[in-house]
Amino acid sequence: MTNLEADVGIRVMGSPATAPTPRMGAAKPRKRTWRQAFRRDWQLYSLALGPIAFFLVFRYLPMIGNVIAFRRFRPGGSILGTGPFTLNYFDRFIHSKTFWHVFENTLILGGLTLLFTFPLPIVLALLLNEVRNGTWKRFVQSVSYLPHFLSIVVVVTIIYQVTALDGLVNQAIHRFGVTPIPFMQQPEWFRTIFVSSEVWQTVGWGTILYLAALTMIDDDLYEAAKIDGANRWRQTWHVTLPGLRTTMITLLILNVGTFLGVSFEKVYLMENPLTYSTADILSTYLFRVGMASASSLSYATAIGLFEAVIGLVLIMSTNLIAKRTVGTSLW
Amino acid sequence: MVAIEQSAPRAPATPPAPPAKPRLVTAPRRRRWGRIHDTRGYRAFQVFNAIGLTLVVIATLVPFVHVVAKSFSSEVAIRTGRVNLLPIGFNVDTYRLVSHDHLFWLNYWNTIKYTSVSTVVALVLTTTYAFVLSKKHLKGRTLLIWVAVFTMFFSGGIIPNFVLISAMGLRNQIWAIALPNAISVFNLLVMKAFFENLPPELEEAAAVDGLNTYGILMRIVLPLSKAVLATMTLFYSVSFWNSWFPAFLYLDHQNLNPVTIYLRNLLVGATGGTNMGGQISDLHISANVQAVAIVLICVPILLVYPFIQRYFVRGVMLGAVKG
Amino acid sequence: MYHSNRRRSLTSVSAGAAVVLALGFASACSSKPDEFKDKRVGAMSNYAVGVDFRATTDQPLHFSMMYNNHPNYPLNEDWLFWSELEKRTNVHLDLVEAPLSDYNQKRTTLINAGQAPQIIPKTYPGQENEYVSSGAILPVSDYVNLMPNYSARVQNWNMQSDLDTLTQADGKYYNLAGMHEEKRTEYSFAVRTDLLTKDGIATPKTLDDFENMLKVLKDKECAGVAGCYPLSDRFNFAPPERPGGNLIRTIAAAFGVRAGWDYNTVSWDFNQKKYVLTAESDAYKQTLQYLNKLVTEGLLDPESFTQQDDQALQKFAQGKSFVISSNIQNVINDYRPNLKNIPGATVGMIPPPTGPMGNVMFGGRLENGIIFNADVKDSPNFVAMMQFVDWLWYSENGQEFAKWGVPGVTYTKDANGKRTLNPDITMLGFNADTATKQLQKDYGFYNGIFVYGGTRDLMHSFYSDEEQAFLDSVKDREVLPVPPPQPFDEDQQDQATQIEVDLTPHVMQESLKFILGSRSFDDWGNFVKELDGLDAQTYLGLVTDAYNAFQQR
Repeated sequence: MTNLEADVGIRVMGSPATAPTPRMGAAKPRKRTWRQAFRRDWQLYSLALGPIAFFLVFRYLPMIGNVIAFRRFRPGGSILGTGPFTLNYFDRFIHSKTFWHVFENTLILGGLTLLFTFPLPIVLALLLNEVRNGTWKRFVQSVSYLPHFLSIVVVVTIIYQVTALDGLVNQAIHRFGVTPIPFMQQPEWFRTIFVSSEVWQTVGWGTILYLAALTMIDDDLYEAAKIDGANRWRQTWHVTLPGLRTTMITLLILNVGTFLGVSFEKVYLMENPLTYSTADILSTYLFRVGMASASSLSYATAIGLFEAVIGLVLIMSTNLIAKRTVGTSLW
Repeated sequence: MVAIEQSAPRAPATPPAPPAKPRLVTAPRRRRWGRIHDTRGYRAFQVFNAIGLTLVVIATLVPFVHVVAKSFSSEVAIRTGRVNLLPIGFNVDTYRLVSHDHLFWLNYWNTIKYTSVSTVVALVLTTTYAFVLSKKHLKGRTLLIWVAVFTMFFSGGIIPNFVLISAMGLRNQIWAIALPNAISVFNLLVMKAFFENLPPELEEAAAVDGLNTYGILMRIVLPLSKAVLATMTLFYSVSFWNSWFPAFLYLDHQNLNPVTIYLRNLLVGATGGTNMGGQISDLHISANVQAVAIVLICVPILLVYPFIQRYFVRGVMLGAVKG
Repeated sequence: MYHSNRRRSLTSVSAGAAVVLALGFASACSSKPDEFKDKRVGAMSNYAVGVDFRATTDQPLHFSMMYNNHPNYPLNEDWLFWSELEKRTNVHLDLVEAPLSDYNQKRTTLINAGQAPQIIPKTYPGQENEYVSSGAILPVSDYVNLMPNYSARVQNWNMQSDLDTLTQADGKYYNLAGMHEEKRTEYSFAVRTDLLTKDGIATPKTLDDFENMLKVLKDKECAGVAGCYPLSDRFNFAPPERPGGNLIRTIAAAFGVRAGWDYNTVSWDFNQKKYVLTAESDAYKQTLQYLNKLVTEGLLDPESFTQQDDQALQKFAQGKSFVISSNIQNVINDYRPNLKNIPGATVGMIPPPTGPMGNVMFGGRLENGIIFNADVKDSPNFVAMMQFVDWLWYSENGQEFAKWGVPGVTYTKDANGKRTLNPDITMLGFNADTATKQLQKDYGFYNGIFVYGGTRDLMHSFYSDEEQAFLDSVKDREVLPVPPPQPFDEDQQDQATQIEVDLTPHVMQESLKFILGSRSFDDWGNFVKELDGLDAQTYLGLVTDAYNAFQQR
C-alpha cells in the first residue's frame, strides 16, 4: 500500500512538471516550480495521498473495463472482451432512431427536473430563514425531509394512487366539472407528474446544504446592512443570497453535469407502453436492451461513454460560464 | 473586518456596500430580529410564508402518516383501501412479529455497523481531500480536482468492479461496502466550496502562531465547519443507510446483509419491480408488513436528525473572526 | 473439437436415453475410453433409476450453489432439510445467497465476472442464452447420460420437443430444465362466484360466454357504483414491458397466438406450419379487437393495463370489479381474505375461455432449471455432482424428499401412497387450523429452489380440492405441440436483438392504443407498415433461416 501511495504521489505530482502547465484565463498569483511548491506544501500533498489512492484503485482501475465498448463482450468471457476492436457499437446507437428519441426524452426530463429541483430548495431555505419561531422552523425542516426517506417503490405507489381515475387529483378536478383524466396513460402528463414527484421528494432535503451555508454568513453583514437602512428584502438580496453563492454555483455546476442521470428505478416503475413516447429514457432503454441480448453490455458501455463525454462537456462549459459571469467555479 | 470583504458579494451589481462598521464584540446577536420595525409588506409576507410552509408540511407529512397508519392497520382494511391517516382495525401483530425476527435485528445491526464505519471512512477521506482542494494557491490543484471530477462521469461498470473487489479478497467483508464508495465527488466538491468560504486570514494567523497544516485543519478549520461536517455526516450516513446495491453484490450471506436488502426483498419481490423471473405469483406479502418495514427503517435515521440540526446555528463565524 | 459429438448428441439424446438407461452403469465400462476417468471421486458406480444417491467419500462432498432467498421463508441453516440432505447424500451445499428480488442480476454478475458457483438453479429457459457464446456454462446435454433419472423422464414423458426449444445454434442445450409430467394450467381469471349464482350466470366456457358474463355483471352489479367495471385487471409490472400480461395472454391463446406475458416477436402458425410475425397476425388483431370491444362496452376497466396490482386488488375488494386475473394462490392469499368485508362474497377460478382455436391449450412443460459453471467438468467430483443433481431434482425419492420432507417427521404415507402432512405443520392452506409450524419456514421443505415440476402424482399431492377442480375443468383440452426450435447463432442474435429493442415497445404501445380505442382498427394497415419500417420482416427472415437450418440438421 505504501508503495502504491508513493507511486501515486510521484505520478500525480511528477507528470505535469515536465510539461508546461496550461493555464486558462485566471492568472495565478505567483508561479512556483514544483520543487518550491512541494517544499512549501508537502503537508497538504500528503493529505491528498489517501484520497488519490482511493480514486486510482476504486475508480480508475475498473475503468479499464470500458474497453468492451470497442470489443464484443461475451457474458462470462473475458471482462476485456474478445475479438477485434470495432466501432460498431457506437455506429449502432448513432444510427438508431430509438436511441435519439430516448436521448431527447432524457434531456427534456433531466432538464425539467433540474429547472425545478435546483431553485426550489433555495426558495424554501430562504423562506425557512425568515421564520422566527424556532420550534416551528425546526418542525418544518424535519418534516420536509421525510419524503427523501421513502423508498422509490413506495413513492411510485403513492403517485399511482393520487393520479388514479378515482384518485385525489381527479376527485379534486371533478369538483370543477373536469372529466377525470387517466394521467398515467397520457404521455403529455408524464413529465409533469414525474417532475412534481421529484420536487416533492427532494426539495426539503435539498435545503440542508443551504441551511448549512447560511450558518457561515457573518452576522456582522446583517448588522451593517441594517445600520445602512436596508430592509429585510434588501438584506436577503445583498447579504443572504451572496452568502449562498458559492454553494449555489457549486451545486448548479454539479447538477448540470449530471442531469442526464435521471432516476432509472422511478421512471421504470412509472412508465408503461402508453407513455413511452415521453417517458422512455436512456437508462430504461438500456435496461430493455440488456434484457434482450448477450452483447448488450458492449452497446451499453458505448452509450455510457457517450453520456460521460456529454456530462464532461456540460460540466466544463457550465464551469467556464460560471467563472466568466459570477467569478465562482469548481476549478 | 477582512472577513467581511471575503464573503461579501463580488457580483457585478454593487451592493449597498456594508462598510465594515466597528461594533461591540459583545453585542447580543440574538436580538437581531426585533430591532427594525417590519414593513407592512414584510408582515404580509410572513403570513403567506406561514401558509406556504404549512402546505409544505401537509404535502410531505401526509404520505408519511399514511404509511405509519398502514403499519398499525389490519391487512383487510389496507387492501380494501380504507386506511387514510388513522389506523383501521388497529393491529401491532406485525411489529411483534418483525421484532421477533432474528434476521431482521441481525441485519439491522449490520446496517448500523456498515453505516458508522463507512461514514467515518468517507468523512476522513472527503474532508482531507476537500481541504487540499480548497487551497487555491496549491500547485496542481486543478489536476487534483480533475482526478475527482472525471470519475463523476467515467466509471468502470459493475463487472470490473466486481472482479476488483473479488481479487482484493474483499467479498463478504465490511470493506467491500465501506471502501469503494468512500468519496462522493458531489459531497467532496460541496465541502470544498465551504472550505473556500472560510476567511483565509484565520489560517494565516494560525500559521504565524506556529500551527502546521495538520494543526490548522484540526484546530481551526474543522471547529469552524461544524455545520458542513454535520451536513456531510448526514448525507453520507443516510446514503450508506439506504444503500443496498454494493451489499447485494458483494455479500453472499443473508446474515451479512444490511436491513435494506431485507426490506427490498419484501418490497420489490412483491411488486416485481426488477424481478423478471415470472415468479410473481408465489409471493404473498402483506401490505401491512411492507408499511412496518418502511417505518422501522426510517425511524432511526429520523431520530438522528435533531442532533445534526443542533449544528445549524448561525453566527459561528462571528466569534471566530473576532477571536 | 466436439463436432462429431455435437451432431450426434441431438438425435441421440432421446433415442439414446433409453439405451443409456438400460446400460445404466454399464456404459462406464463400455469399450471406449472413460472420458470421466479422473472425475468419479465420490460417485456411485451403481447409480441408476431407483437407487438413492449417496456420495461414496468419507467426508461430505462440498458443492457450491447459488441460492434464491425467498422473503416468505428466509434461509435457515438449521432447517431439517439441510441436515437430512447431508445425512442422506453425504453432500454439503455451500450457498452463495441472493435475495429473490434481485436473484437474476446477481447470477448475471457472478457469471460475467467469472465467479459463478458450480450449481446455478432457478434459471428459466432462455435466461441461459446469453452465457452460451463465452463458454462460461456447461453444455449439459453432453452429460445427461450421467443422469439416469433425468434421461428416463425425457424418454418416458416425451419431453424431446420441449427440450428442442432449449437447443442453441451449436445443437446442444445448456439448461437442465425442470419438467412436468402433466401440462399444467396455472393462470386464468378469478370471479365472484356468489354473483354468478345470484345473477344466474353459468361458468363461462367460450369468449362469448365470457363477454356475456361481463355484460350481465355490469347491468346487474355495476348500477349505481361509481367507477365500477366488471373486469379490472392486474399484473402490469412483471415486467412492465408486457402490460395486461395474463389478460392479453389468455384471450390471445383462445385466438391461437401467444401474446401478453408469452409475447414473442414471432409465433408459430399451427395452420400454415410456419413462423409469422405475432403482431401482424390475424389472431393478434382479433385479440385486440375483442379487448377493444370489452373496453368500449364498459366491461373492462381502461386502467387494467397501467394500474398497479394494489389498485386492482382494491377495486376487487371494494366490489368495484368482479373478475380479475389469478392463479389459485392469489385466490387463497389475496382475494378471499380481502373480500371478508362484503357479506356473502365468494370467489373462485374459471377455466380460461376458449375461442376459434377450439378446445385447446398451449403446450410447454418445461420449468426453470439448473445451469452449471463450465469448470465443473474439470472437478474430480463431476460425476458425483451430476448424480447428486439427478437424484435431488429429478428422481421420485429426491423430489418427494424436497417437497414433503421426512416420513414420520413432517408427513406420513399410507398404503395407497397418499401422503398426509403432520397435523402440526401447515402448507398451502393444509392444516391451517391445527398447525403451529410451517413446512417451508420451519423445516426448509417445499423450497422453490429445489421443488419444481415432477410427476403427476407428486404435483397432485399438494393440490387442494379447489385447485384439483380447476385443473379438472381444463383436463379435456388438447395440448398444442410446442413450436419448433429456431436457435440463433451469435450474429443472428445480435441482429435480432437490435431489431427487437425498437420493435417490441412499439408493438406494445400501439396494441394498448388499439385496445383502449385511441387508435382505430381502420389504421391497421398503417400499423403493419410501421412494423415493417422497424425491420419486422428482417426479423422474420432471421427466424425462418434459423428454423430451416435447424430442420436440416
